[in-house]
Amino acid sequence: MKWQRKDILGIEDMSVEEIRQILHTAKAMKGILMRPIKKLPTLKGKSVVNLFYESSTRTRTSFEMAGKVLGADTTSIAVAQSSVNKGESLYDTAKTIQALRADLVIIRHQSSGAASFLADILDAGVINAGDGQHEHPTQALLDIFTMEERLGDLEGKNVVIVGDVLHSRVARSNAWGLQKLGVNVTLVGPPTLLPVEMASLGVKMSHDLNSALPGADVVMALRLQLERQKSGLFPSLREYSQLYGLTTERLKKTQKQSIVLHPGPMNRGVEISDDVADSVDALIERQVTNGVAIRMALIYLLIGGSSNVVA
Amino acid sequence: MEGIFKSKILDADGIRRAITRIAHEIVEKNKGTEKLVLVGIRRRGVPLAERIQKYIEEFEGVTLPLGILDITLYRDDLSTIDVQPVVHETDVPVSIEGKAVILIDDVLYTGRTARAALDATMDLGRPERIQLAVLVDRGHRELPIRADYVGKNLPTSRREIVAVRLKEVDGDEDVLLLEREDDNPN
Amino acid sequence: MWWLKEVAVIDPSQTISSPCDVLIKDGKVLDIASSLTEVDVSAKAQGEAVETIEGKGKFLFPGLIDVHTHLREPGQEEKEDILSGSRAAVRGGFTTILAMANTQPVIDKRALIEFVRLQGERAGYAHVLPIGTVTKGMQGSELVEMADMKEGGAAAFSDDGKNIQNAEVMRLALEYAKLTGLPIISHCEDKDLAGDGLMRRGLASGRMGLRGIPGSAESVIVGRDLILAEETRGKLHLAHISTAESVDLIRKAKARGVDVTAEVNPHHLIFCDEDIKLNDTVLKVNPPLGSKEDREALIEGLKDGTIDMIATDHAPHTQAEKTRPFAEAPFGIASLETALSAVWQHLVVPGRLSLDRVVEAWSVSPAKRFGLNGGTLKPGAPADMVLFDPDYKEVIKPANLVSKARNTPFLGKSFQGLPVMVWVEGRLVQKDRMVL
Repeated sequence: MKWQRKDILGIEDMSVEEIRQILHTAKAMKGILMRPIKKLPTLKGKSVVNLFYESSTRTRTSFEMAGKVLGADTTSIAVAQSSVNKGESLYDTAKTIQALRADLVIIRHQSSGAASFLADILDAGVINAGDGQHEHPTQALLDIFTMEERLGDLEGKNVVIVGDVLHSRVARSNAWGLQKLGVNVTLVGPPTLLPVEMASLGVKMSHDLNSALPGADVVMALRLQLERQKSGLFPSLREYSQLYGLTTERLKKTQKQSIVLHPGPMNRGVEISDDVADSVDALIERQVTNGVAIRMALIYLLIGGSSNVVA
Repeated sequence: MEGIFKSKILDADGIRRAITRIAHEIVEKNKGTEKLVLVGIRRRGVPLAERIQKYIEEFEGVTLPLGILDITLYRDDLSTIDVQPVVHETDVPVSIEGKAVILIDDVLYTGRTARAALDATMDLGRPERIQLAVLVDRGHRELPIRADYVGKNLPTSRREIVAVRLKEVDGDEDVLLLEREDDNPN
Repeated sequence: MWWLKEVAVIDPSQTISSPCDVLIKDGKVLDIASSLTEVDVSAKAQGEAVETIEGKGKFLFPGLIDVHTHLREPGQEEKEDILSGSRAAVRGGFTTILAMANTQPVIDKRALIEFVRLQGERAGYAHVLPIGTVTKGMQGSELVEMADMKEGGAAAFSDDGKNIQNAEVMRLALEYAKLTGLPIISHCEDKDLAGDGLMRRGLASGRMGLRGIPGSAESVIVGRDLILAEETRGKLHLAHISTAESVDLIRKAKARGVDVTAEVNPHHLIFCDEDIKLNDTVLKVNPPLGSKEDREALIEGLKDGTIDMIATDHAPHTQAEKTRPFAEAPFGIASLETALSAVWQHLVVPGRLSLDRVVEAWSVSPAKRFGLNGGTLKPGAPADMVLFDPDYKEVIKPANLVSKARNTPFLGKSFQGLPVMVWVEGRLVQKDRMVL
């Protein structure tokens, strides 16, 4: 399949073939990451700009490493040190990046739609590293990659995503991607964090974790922003944890050796108990490597060929 | 491969004989099989490497380690070719540190694929030596590269296409010389 | 003197909806008759030159009155000012516009009321009537000097842009405004329910991950203000109604005899939440676009009279402000120049709404409710009129807009059916789509 896309903005509008091609390419990239010499000449002379309006050391480092392994020059525009804090609009920043003739921009932004806003302005490719509550496609792809590594073909598998679904771009992207691959996805959370409009994702919804768990191959806990309690979205961490916290005991209800994932950072003792968090931590190394592999794949697909040469 | 048929260069027997000879030459030139690692360059280098592995096993009783090399990420023409090539896995299951790596491909032409394969191999470790085996050498080198083992030297014009067909990949088994159909030199 | 011949007059104030000849003299409607002869006309001209206009195939109706515009002057003239806004008005078929009070400073004193009114007179296009705030500084606590402001020319009172959250303040406002006979215009938005939402809460907001504003953010205040109006017997006008629940509440209140009128914005009649795109802020508007069901209920409400008026809520913004990620762009659609044609094309032509009802809701009812001149072509009335050509075609292009703002969803769209001549007090101010 010939790669057509200039940008990776979300999973919602991605085809199954595209997702497969990304996963396939990532597999090759992972092989490279396992080698002693992690450096390729592939993107020599190409420049990748990281534009992070929200701090996220993990995601930013992952993208930086991905770009560097592929031989690209990577520049990070840290928001605190740049004009973005002096009231420069994203539009102006985009114009500057355009003038710098970057080949690819990685953006993380607090506003839903910021990545597609940037993509509309720039000739360069854009990868969405998380936009508001909208999507976080690279996180979902790496989660899917990890699931496939562990479970093989995901068709017909059961994935439960539990927590603050309403505010979670990770949940949205995963729900879109997993559905496309034939996974049965169930979203779980209290009605305030999983309101009726989330039916728009087209997957099952439940407010009862215990009844959603049986048969789950993967359980993904979402990070609970503790300030949501102050907004009245749930009464207490105690009650949240009782109803939706993942514990070893509760995970037995899956009646399987389920994989537990968490996009991190985890609130131990809230959405995830200490011992379950340890099992997630055990997967961290793999997740980090897979994250770099997925991002390498995307960077290669977007700017590795001739169709994306910025004139 | 699109093109007008001109002649058949090798048939199935011809290919078999050429590969068998290369297998013998590899063992002879390296004075045995001790340090050998066979690495097929995707895509048709892979079945050729498998066959060489099999022949050596038959006459030496040794199964040589076999790797697969995908050179896509090392190509120097990525930003010029139309269809972006799909990246596949590189799978070299043994360490090549201090080994004699035999790179195996179907056709040697400009030398650019071999150059990419050399770089890709070096990134896997530091072998004692690297040698190159090809089924057909058709000339027109653009880089200072030569093959150590050649199944068939074939003088060609740039307008001609050498089509290697192997049953594992293509169903058929032969080497054909074709002429480009379009008059456009590109 | 003007003689408009064989023009299809739409004047619901006199229940005229037929071809007539219309005479305009000294800034007023002189005569309106089924047909006039040269002899009749020259007798009435009394020596004055007569400009004759062949009106066949065109509509003539009283100039539209828009009770909800944001002209941004004083304070935000980069978005719009009274001159550009009133020029945009006449280009779009409006001869009277009410200017909302949420400028910088807010219009909470007679001096400021007079300023807006005078700026409107100096501009000399549409009549510009100021709306004063309800509370000082639009802070939602102390009432403004309503009587004095009325003397200065205030047409109504509204904290539009902000809601009066304190129900007691709203109750007092409805009571005190009785001194003036002017309505209190409610912004109908519960601040807490609306939160920092960006679009109507629903499947579309869920899908795009845009924070939602529930329909209740509007309806709760509509319900509250209807109860307060009923209790106080005050005069209430509900701005930009956008939900089916609100329509239902208003319908019931009217049946009980509450002194309430309500308006709907053209964009709520034409678009719905599903039309919103994450990377296009042009439909980011407050109140947000509702569901398809809401839109149907609004059209029904407008047809059956539950909703009395159409009003643009013309909300001009600069391109720089609108060229931002969705969450960061301001709410609002600039609509004075396109609203009438949009309603014509999207509602009248498909048969959803009659032109008579449009004129009634956009001219007759506003004049009646706010006690304004206009809204009629009765002989003696000021000749504020629109000649509308249903065949005239135009592509909406930035270069043609006279408003400073470009934030309209109709850019690049082609319209058929536009106002081609507009008179304010008998003076031609727009001809062939050009503001004179």
